[in-house]
Amino acid sequence: MLRKLVRSRFFLPSGLVVVVATAGLLAFGPHAGASGSPTPTLYGTDASVHHRSTPADCRLSQGQYGQTGTFNAGSPFHTSIRAYEHGCLVLYGSPYIKYALPSSSLIPEGDLLFQTYCSTCHGPQANGPYGIAPNLQGLGPATVDFWITTGRMPAQSLRSKQAPEKTPKLTPHQALAVAAWVNSLLPAAPFIPHVQNPNAANLADGASLYTLNCAACHTITGAGDALAYDTYAPTLHNATITQVVEAIRTGPANMPRFTGNLTDQQVRDIAVYVTTKIQKPQNIGGWGLGGVGPVTEGFVALLFGVGILMLVCYWIGDRS
Amino acid sequence: MSDATVPKPRTKREAQAARGPYGRLGQAINEADDRFGVAKGGRVFLDKIFPDHWSFMLGEIALYSFVVLIATGIFLTLYYVPSSAEVTYHGVYAPLRGVRMTEAYASSVDLSFAVRCGLLMRQMHHWACDVFVGAIVVHMARIFFTGAFRKPRETNWIIGVTLLIMAILNGFVGYSLPDDLISGTGIRIAYSILLSIPVVGTYLAFFLFGGQYPGTEIIPRFYIIHVLILPVIIGGLIAAHLGLLVRQKHTQFRGRHKTEHNVVGSPMFPTFMAKTTGFLFMITAVLTLLGGLAQINPIWQFGPYQPYKISYAVQPDWYMGWLDGALRIMPSWEWTGWGHTIPFMVLLPSVVFPGLIFTICYGWPIIERYFTKDNELHNLLDRPRDRPKRTGAGAAMIGLMFTCFAASSTDVLANYFNISLNEVLWFFRIAVIVVPIICGFTAWRICLELQGVPEAGKRKRANVIIRTAAGEYTSERTEPRPGDHDEELAPEPVPTLIELEPVGVADGGNGEVDTPPGVRRVTR
Amino acid sequence: MSEHGPGVQEGFEGAFDGEENGTPVPVSLARWDDPHMQVAARDPKKTERLIMTCFVVGILGVAGFGAVFWVSPSPNYYWLYGLTLGVGFFFLGFGLTAWGKYLMPQGPFVEERHVLAGTDEERDAMAAAVVQRTDVVLRRRGFLGALLAAGVAIFSVVAVFPLLRSLGPLPKKSLFTTNWRRGSLLVDVNGTPVHVDSMVVGGIQTVFPQGPYRNDPNQAAKDQTVLLRPNDSAVATGKDLPKGRTKWVPHGYIAYSQVCTHLGCPVKLYEEQLELLVCPCHQSMFNIRNGAVPQFGPAARPLPQLPLMVDGNGYLRAAAGYDQAVGPSFWERTTHPEWHW
Repeated sequence: MLRKLVRSRFFLPSGLVVVVATAGLLAFGPHAGASGSPTPTLYGTDASVHHRSTPADCRLSQGQYGQTGTFNAGSPFHTSIRAYEHGCLVLYGSPYIKYALPSSSLIPEGDLLFQTYCSTCHGPQANGPYGIAPNLQGLGPATVDFWITTGRMPAQSLRSKQAPEKTPKLTPHQALAVAAWVNSLLPAAPFIPHVQNPNAANLADGASLYTLNCAACHTITGAGDALAYDTYAPTLHNATITQVVEAIRTGPANMPRFTGNLTDQQVRDIAVYVTTKIQKPQNIGGWGLGGVGPVTEGFVALLFGVGILMLVCYWIGDRS
Repeated sequence: MSDATVPKPRTKREAQAARGPYGRLGQAINEADDRFGVAKGGRVFLDKIFPDHWSFMLGEIALYSFVVLIATGIFLTLYYVPSSAEVTYHGVYAPLRGVRMTEAYASSVDLSFAVRCGLLMRQMHHWACDVFVGAIVVHMARIFFTGAFRKPRETNWIIGVTLLIMAILNGFVGYSLPDDLISGTGIRIAYSILLSIPVVGTYLAFFLFGGQYPGTEIIPRFYIIHVLILPVIIGGLIAAHLGLLVRQKHTQFRGRHKTEHNVVGSPMFPTFMAKTTGFLFMITAVLTLLGGLAQINPIWQFGPYQPYKISYAVQPDWYMGWLDGALRIMPSWEWTGWGHTIPFMVLLPSVVFPGLIFTICYGWPIIERYFTKDNELHNLLDRPRDRPKRTGAGAAMIGLMFTCFAASSTDVLANYFNISLNEVLWFFRIAVIVVPIICGFTAWRICLELQGVPEAGKRKRANVIIRTAAGEYTSERTEPRPGDHDEELAPEPVPTLIELEPVGVADGGNGEVDTPPGVRRVTR
Repeated sequence: MSEHGPGVQEGFEGAFDGEENGTPVPVSLARWDDPHMQVAARDPKKTERLIMTCFVVGILGVAGFGAVFWVSPSPNYYWLYGLTLGVGFFFLGFGLTAWGKYLMPQGPFVEERHVLAGTDEERDAMAAAVVQRTDVVLRRRGFLGALLAAGVAIFSVVAVFPLLRSLGPLPKKSLFTTNWRRGSLLVDVNGTPVHVDSMVVGGIQTVFPQGPYRNDPNQAAKDQTVLLRPNDSAVATGKDLPKGRTKWVPHGYIAYSQVCTHLGCPVKLYEEQLELLVCPCHQSMFNIRNGAVPQFGPAARPLPQLPLMVDGNGYLRAAAGYDQAVGPSFWERTTHPEWHW
């Protein structure tokens, strides 16, 4: 419900790149506004407006990249849109995708949720002290949001090599809260992506980029399949458009990270292609047979085709 | 025939009288007989007997699938453009608009979306191909297990095996024509397999493809192979196959009144013709329903082929699946030395293995004769249980083929059962040896057991214990139940004229008189 | 013929007793009360009605197909074509088969199986003619026969040239070469050069040498190279790589030929944490840390590695071309890396 609201607001036409900051609103950190609304604030502004240097304590960590330098879209650098609140970067992106920091007002709630659901494995400070689960600090809110909203976290068991997708235990709002709290420990990109104006995406580019970058693992129909050893590429048929972008930008588990070589526009094309033509394929030929290719088709041809015709033979002919 | 009794105007009656008792059709037959001599052979053809056993109709599935393949294929040739020239797509399907692709792919997508019935024809063609090869295999299994390949029919068996190979080849070539991402990957693999052949491999590949992979020649070349060369060979072989069948007459199972010197069943005309024409319609119907309701090879989702693009989980059509499976499970053996390389991990599963399999198929009549020393002519079929070794060998072959086929979907199986892909692959490396042995041995053993059971497969007959007046007990078997007899009537040659109802009733038209009771034969 | 049932009358009155070449062709009649004339249907009238219904449904189906064709539905309703035509065909066929099965005389009928083989005399005559005539002809004019055979033999050898040779060029060294040279700039599918900072750690990208190559399928097929930036310091130092390759991996970038050494599929399936490149076709697994040595599956050879360097502007370039033929194995391929034609 909340998520819907948030998304509907983000789905403004791209003409409205300058989004009105909703009220001095829920400011950052201790200066939090009085409204107390749990809705993550939409910090939006023109890139030219509030360009200030960032205070040291708000600077984003680049630890995850193991280096310094500049990055293309997907990281806060080299992007056309940036917004700061109290000196801290809270929104960046392009007219195609905006990456927003979850509201700091969610941090206390996120802390509580994290201690309840996550700290057993990841440790109370989310730095993975026990060696059974990784350090989550400095991974960026999109990473945390992806793992929780797809139901992969909290994990059911530590045994499986790859946490399976399942019905999410936490609500999207709670996931945002956890992401906000984890990020407050060591701020990092990428923030939560919000795809702008998906109807304007170029499906042909999306399809082409999908086959180039994604189909090698997720298969051309997005059905997913088993990979080396115990790993597998999950099906894309349940993913939301936000999750697709989060996965592309963060590279969960064995998935490579597509940050340098895909622009926001390209990522939007892919994400829209996935949530339209992959998830709702134009099966004009009839029943789609699960989209797993000639093996199923062979079984249908042999069982339905040859099988039925053999039964017809059995009826026509003599059975002595 | 009864025209003569119907009162007609004088002039017409005279005209009819002039035509003779069989009317215009009879006259037409006379005319044809004058020129071609159709009467003598034609009558024999009408009376030709086809045994009625259901398993004898399996070959018809293949034959009529081929008819559908030809019909739909002709339709497709009208719209398909066999060219590797690059064009930009501006058609109906949005996710491809503005994309550069070959003319072959663009025309395949266009004939699916923009031509009325085009997609139905394309999908029917593809389903018919899958069913065609499947029916050939099932038919072949019937021939094998019943020993129908024995003398005098070895030649027809060899023609049949050739037909299977040609069908598989043409299926692969046709699958490659749309030039989508999946089929392009298949062509890439075919090129690499050609490369693997020692000494001449690179030359073969360069000659077939007109140079380096992929080149621009392969689509037009595959096209002419697919629509002309192989279909003509297949059509010719089918003609020879059927010609030999007619010349040598059909085999039949053992049974009362059935001997090595006769054929018992239904006459060509009208019974068999009605059944088989109806079957042609039903086969077309099943293929049409599949083509209309079940999607096959949605090329528009795959996108055009680019040599640097790939999708996971790409498999060939099922009849090539066993080769793909063999390629997957093969250990990585490669020989290098004296400046040369022999990639056994490609050569063995994709060249030597199918060569071996088809050599066994071709040579089976010879192999069997070598062991049985049987030089007799056989027109009566074996029951599979009576030939345990042959049945065992066939079961082993089916087990081997099926294991290889299943191995081509290791990834799908690993995903479905949620187990490690590597373990699945190892499972198949072992299964490909173990499964045929188990299948062969089990089949052989079951045959022996079945032989030991008298009248296995037939309904049991009760034993009645009778106490005589003297107090003596005897047991007596009851009569077989109605319908358990093989044949209750002695078979007869087909009469020229047949009556199904008493004369007069059919013509009287009141329709009240049914066939009198008491003469109805028990249904077989 | 006399042993046949009582219902059969030979020489049916009024019919022609066709006599041709002296062989009488019997025109026989099987009367309705002959048991061979029985139909399988228990109630022929009912069966007839059933078949009639089938035919009517069949006609409706086929006509429906015509209607669908006339209306020409949008792609989402293409299934109507198959449904109408399939139902039409099915019921027509079902009715016709049922007609044959239930409403036609069930016999059983029999046909003699004539012996195909001739008599001994006939065989001898044939064999004698073939053997004796051949013998006479060839013995007298054996030299002519030999000349003819030589002509046919020479033609069949010569015919191979136009039939095969004109189909394509000779392989020469084309299988050994790619367009990668020392200094080739790495560009992506759109032709954008790859800057050393442009790819994030954990990323993967398909690259080609700059030039008119990536849009030419023949060149792209063998030039395609997979560029990785693994999240692993072992790769950056190159310590697990074969000897002499430590300089090939600047800034943690590592590049391998994307053409599988098994059957040539693009090896694009990258498992970042497992540090494996997997071939999507037959699941060969290549370990990217130690020079793409195959770890599992049918591939026998490592993927050839492309030496990389960074130019003054920070762009990635090839430090040299591939040191061996890329892609699947073939007869002329050698093990020696520097070997060229």
